[in-house]
Amino acid sequence: MAENNLELTRNQKEVELFFGPNHPGMHGNFSVHLKLEGDTVVQAEPVPGFLHRGFEKLMERRLWMSNLALIPRICVPEPDINEMVYAMAVERLSELQVPPRGNWIRVLILELARINAHLMSIGGLGGASGLYTDMYWAMTERDWILDIFEKITGARVYHMYIVIGGVRQDLPEGIVPFILERLDGLERRLKEFHDLLYKNPVLHARLKDRLILNRSMCEEMCITGIGLRATGIPHDIRRVDPYAAYEEMDFDIPTGEKGDALTRGHLKLLEVEQSIRIIRQVLAKIPSGPVRQKPFGNALRWRVPAGETFEHVESSRGEYGYYVVSDGSEKPYRIHVRGASYPQGLYGVQRYMPGTRIEDVALWLGTMDFCPPEIDR
Amino acid sequence: MSPKKRVAMELDPLFERLQPAEVFFTPDGKQLFLLLEPERFMDGLVTLKNAGFSHLSLVSCVDWLERGEFELVYHLLRWEDGKRVALKVRIDRENPVFQTVLHLWPTARFYERDIHEFFGVVFEGNADREPLFLEHWDDIPPMRKDFDPQPYSQKIFDEREYQHPFVPHIVQANPDRLPWEETIDEAKKGGETNGGK
Repeated sequence: MAENNLELTRNQKEVELFFGPNHPGMHGNFSVHLKLEGDTVVQAEPVPGFLHRGFEKLMERRLWMSNLALIPRICVPEPDINEMVYAMAVERLSELQVPPRGNWIRVLILELARINAHLMSIGGLGGASGLYTDMYWAMTERDWILDIFEKITGARVYHMYIVIGGVRQDLPEGIVPFILERLDGLERRLKEFHDLLYKNPVLHARLKDRLILNRSMCEEMCITGIGLRATGIPHDIRRVDPYAAYEEMDFDIPTGEKGDALTRGHLKLLEVEQSIRIIRQVLAKIPSGPVRQKPFGNALRWRVPAGETFEHVESSRGEYGYYVVSDGSEKPYRIHVRGASYPQGLYGVQRYMPGTRIEDVALWLGTMDFCPPEIDR
Repeated sequence: MSPKKRVAMELDPLFERLQPAEVFFTPDGKQLFLLLEPERFMDGLVTLKNAGFSHLSLVSCVDWLERGEFELVYHLLRWEDGKRVALKVRIDRENPVFQTVLHLWPTARFYERDIHEFFGVVFEGNADREPLFLEHWDDIPPMRKDFDPQPYSQKIFDEREYQHPFVPHIVQANPDRLPWEETIDEAKKGGETNGGK
């Protein structure tokens, strides 16, 4: 039987391959069913669902307050954006005003989360291309950032710190010199990352002018974030539709020209630099005052006024949003998550992965900023 | 002027062309939801896309069980000024069929496939209707409001019998104490004897 199959594939010159979570280069629990002709991918079918936990249904069955513990789990590398969009949606529907200090602390947390996610992604690039030094370095640097989270929020990965009305508690004493020290350390290392990765001939051979994501592809797929900025368009939700205190921040939006994988990787390092710049501004100019406006009485009986809203923020991978519908009861009526990597993860794989080579499949997913949990939800 | 009115006025020429049946605002007036009649809907999307709302953020579906309707919501964004608008259309819950928007946004293929899987809405013109996330699903689409997960999971999964009774046993033995106090005491005792040896 097996011989017959082999005979058949030889004649057709086409091999089917399951590229799934068991592959060391795969980013998380996701799979792609590939058809190969020689080393070239001729057909790719995305098969998600390994991480489907029915978050949207679960959220409809929980109180507005109890959802705060659930939502960070939707996106593993960068959980804080979930808390942010959820809080923004409830605040908009119930017309809550967040105190200025609360907004500034939110910016601090979101930028730390961005650094965190970018470092993880830069490390993933090392894993997929065989440069494991880079992965170990990036994970170490990420751990230093997680220490800051632990001091501020009490948790390392899932913080549940951005809550409805502001943030859970004020910054602890003595945190400013601690953060500055960690940021100085990271900034010193960024140059080494640059030399290690983006001057590396191996990486140049594999990424430069390859795995292109050009402007028309971005428009077709509605891709946001680094993929879009690498083609030269400086679109950033923080700039076009500012939230929290981003209006008062002074930062640049790094862009590329070619839209190749090397540019996208390089932009991540430049964005980390910008995030550091924003955090320094926050620490220097943060206003004093309360950090939270307590919403409507007993947390177990919160009722959000009926209405609907779509909130979005700029995550490390692009536009991340929640569509929240309330019917005025104690639980959300419907929440729909817009994962930032949904377009490139499903449509992009199906449409644009064919034509790449088998060894580049993991790199393709890695450099397109790909995150399975937010696709499965 | 309230922000509500300002948004409405800026969009005014577009409004007239779309002829929305109803207009919804968020309380601060910064977001706009336009409900369109099904026959005007595609024209409305084309008009907005030509007016710069070329970024399709999300296609959502909401199940309004009591009204017997599904509401499809298309969230659009204009990058130039960051303005957002959502177009809504209501379709019959008993016969949920609507046209696809693949010719305008090819990336909507998977949003529509997603909605077909979780709500059972059929998009004419989008042949892609294979299940995406669920495996061996044999009930009504799960995101519908009349689907209750609890009876479903009781039907599918057997109730497990635990060899060691969990918390209730300990609580019954010592109703005045909390279960973990007992555990801590036992651990302390064990620690002392081991230390003595």
